[in-house]
Amino acid sequence: MTDASLQGAVLPAAKEPGDAVLDFLRLAITKEVADAVILPMKVPSGDSYAWILMNDLSLLDDAVPIAATMAVQGAKALRSLTRRGPGNLTVIAVMRPCEIRAAIELTKLGQVHPDNLILATYDCPGAVQLQKYVDDPTGCEEHFAGMQQSGKPDDSAKPVCQICEDFSLFDSDIHFGYLGLSEKEVLVIPGSSRGSELLEKLGLTPARDLEGWEKGIDQLKADRVKARESAFEETEGQLRGFDGLLSVFANCIGCHNCQSACPICYCRLCYFDSETAEQNPDALITTASKRGGISLPEDRIMFHTGRMAHMSLSCVSCGQCSDACPVSIPVAGVFSFVADRTQRTFEYVAGRNDGDPLPLRQFRKSELPGVHELVKDADAEVPSHE
Amino acid sequence: MKKEFTPRITSFLCKWCTYTGADLAGTARLQYPVSIIPIQVMCSSRVDPVFLIKAFLSGSDGVLIGGCHPGDCHYETGNYHARRRFAIVKSVFESLGLESDRLKLSWISASEGPKFARVANEYTEEIMKLGENPTRKSIFL
Repeated sequence: MTDASLQGAVLPAAKEPGDAVLDFLRLAITKEVADAVILPMKVPSGDSYAWILMNDLSLLDDAVPIAATMAVQGAKALRSLTRRGPGNLTVIAVMRPCEIRAAIELTKLGQVHPDNLILATYDCPGAVQLQKYVDDPTGCEEHFAGMQQSGKPDDSAKPVCQICEDFSLFDSDIHFGYLGLSEKEVLVIPGSSRGSELLEKLGLTPARDLEGWEKGIDQLKADRVKARESAFEETEGQLRGFDGLLSVFANCIGCHNCQSACPICYCRLCYFDSETAEQNPDALITTASKRGGISLPEDRIMFHTGRMAHMSLSCVSCGQCSDACPVSIPVAGVFSFVADRTQRTFEYVAGRNDGDPLPLRQFRKSELPGVHELVKDADAEVPSHE
Repeated sequence: MKKEFTPRITSFLCKWCTYTGADLAGTARLQYPVSIIPIQVMCSSRVDPVFLIKAFLSGSDGVLIGGCHPGDCHYETGNYHARRRFAIVKSVFESLGLESDRLKLSWISASEGPKFARVANEYTEEIMKLGENPTRKSIFL
């Protein structure tokens, strides 16, 4: 996590932690350290949030840096801002850790250019499921306030939030820590040299030891690790074999919403939406007559399995796929579980470190034993070319 | 009389090594089973994970990727990348509880006709033991 020498600057929070974040951003804009910020703001109808790129101080009053729900994954907002290359102006983005982690993955994929972005995160207590929030914004705000106080996601939160281990400090430029602190204060922790420079320019001195805060975070983390293990066990049980896979995705309507909501699926044309994936009627009728019948639209299982193979190495378990599913398939639970396994294969954790190259962009000459030795010793007998 | 089970093994063979090796097995009149359905690819790294998944879900009892030995790739590093991609699909299959033994990656060079025949025979035997792919009969896909 952090090194022992790391310290944080203390900011008072008038009512809730978000207030301190807003004060920080006001200071950054007033002192012209940042040209603009990206923050969530309530939509006019009041039942959701949208990302707003702003530099108007009066607009900041209406922004909610730590929003109860996550309508659009923040990495998508950063992508639409910088996909054509880095801008010249400095922008501070305050987002959930999973959003910043997705942005780090998109950076590696050439979709986000972070050169003049300052990525800030906060202790995330979890995000309320989008559908629940839209149905009852007021009730969900209360739920979220409770979650912020306890640091524990309740039933209104996304299931993947309950098993998230990366809800606090990692590789961002600035981190706002508040979970587990008793007083109304927020720690501003620089996570990179860029972050330290920013604090210096704002006249904030990181002088507070992080020990107390870290202890609180570790405790919360322990709970989530436990929940994660049992959730994975349950998912694994549901998925056993081809029949299990079929039953989990049985009611998929093939809308591909999970893919459009996914921050990692950036391809302009997904293979599964392309003409190549389309089959002509005769081929389908042949398949149908061999099996007795075939469900249409075809290839729903292939879509999900293919997506697991294509994007799970960069999956940050943000849960947007589940929020987007109109038929309540636990997409995120399955993807999170599979991603954990595939990332483990390459000792990679998506979004945790911007210095780690994507597993598919590199290789070692000797690795992955067992992957190509299924036939008894067939490979071992051959003179080695390695 | 019950028809004997002949597996279908969709095989993606690299043009420079394994496909040529298969050719050599043929010209040397080595016997290997009809279960191997060869598809020539320019490099084992041409095989996208979706190729494997599609072959599996379409009812192939086994899927084989054949490439050059590590260090011998015609494009220098293609097979190393192929191995990583293959490992992802393996890992996805294992986590989903699908039979990952139905997927195989093997390095067979252009001069290894006998090895090709042996791998084809042994892999077919293994697939015979596994039996028919359960996806073959599924109407919900």
